[in-house]
Amino acid sequence: MSDYQQFLDERDKIDFFIQKGYRINGVKEHLNGATVEFINPKGNVFETLVIGTANARKYFTSLLLKQNHT
Amino acid sequence: MADLRINLAGIQSPNPFWLASAPPTNSGYQVQRAFEAGWGGAVWKTLGDPILNVSSRFAAVSFNGQRVAGFNNIELITDRPLDINLKEIYETKKRFPNHAIIASLMVEPKQEKWHEIVKRVEDVGVDGLELNFGCPHGMAERGMGSASGQVPALVERQTYWAKEVAKTPVIVKLTPNITDITATAEAACNGGADAISMINTINSLMGVDLDSWNTIPHVAGKGAHGGYCGPAVKPIALNMVAECARHPHINVPISGIGGISNWKDAVEFMLMGATGVQICTAAMHHGFRIVEDMIDGLSNYLDSKGIAAVSEIIGKSVPKYSDWGNLDLNYNIVAKINTDVCINCNKCHIACEDTSHQCIDRLTDANGMSFLKVREEDCVGCNLCSIVCPVDGAIDMVEAVREMPPMTWNERQAALSGAAILKADVTK
Repeated sequence: MSDYQQFLDERDKIDFFIQKGYRINGVKEHLNGATVEFINPKGNVFETLVIGTANARKYFTSLLLKQNHT
Repeated sequence: MADLRINLAGIQSPNPFWLASAPPTNSGYQVQRAFEAGWGGAVWKTLGDPILNVSSRFAAVSFNGQRVAGFNNIELITDRPLDINLKEIYETKKRFPNHAIIASLMVEPKQEKWHEIVKRVEDVGVDGLELNFGCPHGMAERGMGSASGQVPALVERQTYWAKEVAKTPVIVKLTPNITDITATAEAACNGGADAISMINTINSLMGVDLDSWNTIPHVAGKGAHGGYCGPAVKPIALNMVAECARHPHINVPISGIGGISNWKDAVEFMLMGATGVQICTAAMHHGFRIVEDMIDGLSNYLDSKGIAAVSEIIGKSVPKYSDWGNLDLNYNIVAKINTDVCINCNKCHIACEDTSHQCIDRLTDANGMSFLKVREEDCVGCNLCSIVCPVDGAIDMVEAVREMPPMTWNERQAALSGAAILKADVTK
């Protein structure tokens, strides 16, 4: 799979949670990229994704910036 | 015609083109001929206790047919008695009162030495002084030149000593042979410098002869490092000028030096904060009359931009120069190959395939003709293909449609630090 395809795959997974109203709750960066924790609107369900591609890591932090400003 | 006059810390000259302290400014004969040709100023070859030179002093790098892409010298400061130099400075200034003559100085790091030479040089009417804390060869072994210039405390102290008695502006010339030139630039400012100039030459060994195994150049079979300059050093010099220009504690004018070969180079240095420029290698390569093209080119450029005075461009690009952490991570450019211009040499394909991101495909059209196409979604905008392309206009780097708002690394890190840091080490 090309980097771009991996990015699309990871972006889709991120968008899946965002479209369901989840917010980014926490991030841990590590040697394999970043583990992003999402929390549902009620605040009782946590989901995590490991994001590896550079573009997807830019993507979720852009969403985090947007989230912080809303 | 635009006004080309500059005023660098009170030193006025009819244009921003000065000859740097070096072999072209060794004598009154040379400096007067340079002024006749049109140079606005000259920094006299460094004065101090007259030295002894060796024979075989210069060497140059030719690169793919470009002669003097880089230049190296192991010549020291003036080998002529001070009185002779002073007499010629006096005569030159008398003949060219509106041109800038700056005396480059280098003495031992002792207060009385600086006081003595500053007073004697100013007595003959120089417009300013340039303290040589930059020469990397020979004199540095004796504690002068870059040996002084690499120690911020010595730069500050010697600048202070010169300023104690100087009546004309003091420029401090800095060595690039240091990790962070802003440290010594700031030291010069703390010592009272009226201006700084950069860069002096870079430590270098030009080569080794494959038959004799001698260094290039060599002196009876032995070599020593020299000072490197010429077009190859321009990017290094430009960065150092820019770093000083944007530094909050360095607030004195800058005289830009390093690989400036034409008016365009001069404009770049001035946009990055230089008030004027000093030139040596280009004059040594082509002679004094290159200044005619420099003056014409600069004048035409300013006229074409509707700029009335060259002083208006000083520092205009400095706000555009920042730290990597302030660059927009969401800005993207991609390569576009213009197939009507492309000659199908495949250099871009090979460069991308072997050493970059494998995003240029070699395809075949319906007529069996091969052509190159960029997969834009995989292109990271590295520019390599357009850099190696031998045909102007065959590859354009164009802005991609912006999908996300601007976000810098620093903004990203601030956002992440605001988010909860996950406790669990979930990495898979």
